[in-house]
Amino acid sequence: MREIVEAGGLPLLTPVNEAWFTSGEVAIQCCASCTTLQHPPEEVCHACGGTEFEIRVLRPRGTVVSHTVVHHAPSPALAAFVPYTIVLVSLDDAPHIRVVGNIDGPVSIGMRVAAHWEEFPTDEGPTIRLIQWHRMA
Amino acid sequence: MRGASAVVGVGESAYYRWGEAPDTEFQLACAAIRRAVADAGLELTDVDGLVSYMEPRNDPLRLSAALDTGPLAFTAQTFGGGGNGAGAAVTLADAAVTAGYAGCVVVFRALAQGQFGRFGVGRSETRVGGNAAFTAPYGLKTPAHVTALQTAAYMHDHGVGQDSLAEVALASYAHAQRNPRAVAYGEPLTREMYHASRWIAEPFHLYDCCRETDGAAAIVVVAADRARDCPHVPVSIVAGAHGLERRGGVAAFCDPDFPTAHYGHVAEQLWTRAGVSPRDVGVAQFYENFTGPVLMAIAEMGFCEPDGLDEFVGGGNLQWPHGGLPLNTSGGNLAEAYVHGMGNVVEAVRQNRGESTCQVEDVELSLLVSGPGYAPGSAVLFGRM
Repeated sequence: MREIVEAGGLPLLTPVNEAWFTSGEVAIQCCASCTTLQHPPEEVCHACGGTEFEIRVLRPRGTVVSHTVVHHAPSPALAAFVPYTIVLVSLDDAPHIRVVGNIDGPVSIGMRVAAHWEEFPTDEGPTIRLIQWHRMA
Repeated sequence: MRGASAVVGVGESAYYRWGEAPDTEFQLACAAIRRAVADAGLELTDVDGLVSYMEPRNDPLRLSAALDTGPLAFTAQTFGGGGNGAGAAVTLADAAVTAGYAGCVVVFRALAQGQFGRFGVGRSETRVGGNAAFTAPYGLKTPAHVTALQTAAYMHDHGVGQDSLAEVALASYAHAQRNPRAVAYGEPLTREMYHASRWIAEPFHLYDCCRETDGAAAIVVVAADRARDCPHVPVSIVAGAHGLERRGGVAAFCDPDFPTAHYGHVAEQLWTRAGVSPRDVGVAQFYENFTGPVLMAIAEMGFCEPDGLDEFVGGGNLQWPHGGLPLNTSGGNLAEAYVHGMGNVVEAVRQNRGESTCQVEDVELSLLVSGPGYAPGSAVLFGRM
């Protein structure tokens, strides 16, 4: 699935999203004041308005809540890689948090999945580690 | 303000497949606005307000100079990208006229995908920022992919079948066969063709997806008392609504109500403001970038329960002249043209004027629903004066 990421574009890192995109873990933003977990990470806690955050690491597992198989390449760079599958996964430890990724093989809503990470070294900063999904054994 | 303003003019440019317009987007915008103002029996110097949505191209300064309008008293544009802003733009015009900030407001949208890039082609980027950083790396690059994920989850949760998606497409293509303006005029669609067409992003076949178009459309809004002097039957803006549910703006599919078309709160406001219910609506235009969000919005606007969608849309219920809720009677964004739903606005008005090519008999209330699937949503109920 690396080729899809390379064609789709790597994330631009910011202080707010860096833990999610580089830690190689399910690193969720946790408000230092009220301990609310929120994703995608934001500059302000949606629950209390706090601006200081810690990172809470959740278990890398979840359930597929939606998926699509992309057949028509959305850009010339992706033309060589269709069809590919995009999944949306609800995390076991925080079901309100849904995470996008790719997956190989047949997929269905309700399927149990586990995460792994793909590494993309960059010239200007930390290695990007992108979450991806596979069927839970 | 219920019925305090009215639409007195409509106009559009010719519609073209993307890249085939001989005119620039700005020229298309000028042509549509000129036609709408002429249709209203007014002069361009009467125009003192310009409202649009989605993006600031064709801004009011340039337009007012090029069209030599009257002095401008009101300009505005809605937040949130896409066709979801069309109804909101109409409500801004209604608000401006009703509050007395302007006397004659043009609502318009021009879109030349040949000139400015196709919506069906994602940007080729090596690095992606903002909310797209959480989606684009996975090849989730276009609105088709966003709405496919919403639709697949919704179909699963509510037992909606593929044939219900087909019903939306079949209605639009059937209606377009009577509308010479439609890009798909002369290109009828059958259920067999729908199911045999190639996948774009499951559950969307080719015919679930809107056109990519060059074109422009506009309407003219004035106060109700002034509307009676105009040559066409004035169409009252009975009520408008705009917005989204609480926390509906959380990004990357983490909004609590996912999967939703973001129309629950819009519906609540619209029906309360208008004092009527979905049963009172004779005809509806639902912006269709893709068929799936239309189904979700039909349920969220209160026409049926989510679990009852197959039954509600089945059996040709969305098709003129025999269906109970004729939908997208010009051919809509699937089959007439994709001007970001501004064509839906024009058609909703035409139904109340009695000028549609699929005219529903005796229309009291004509509903516009803009841009389901993307927040914030908006809707307008048009009616007889």
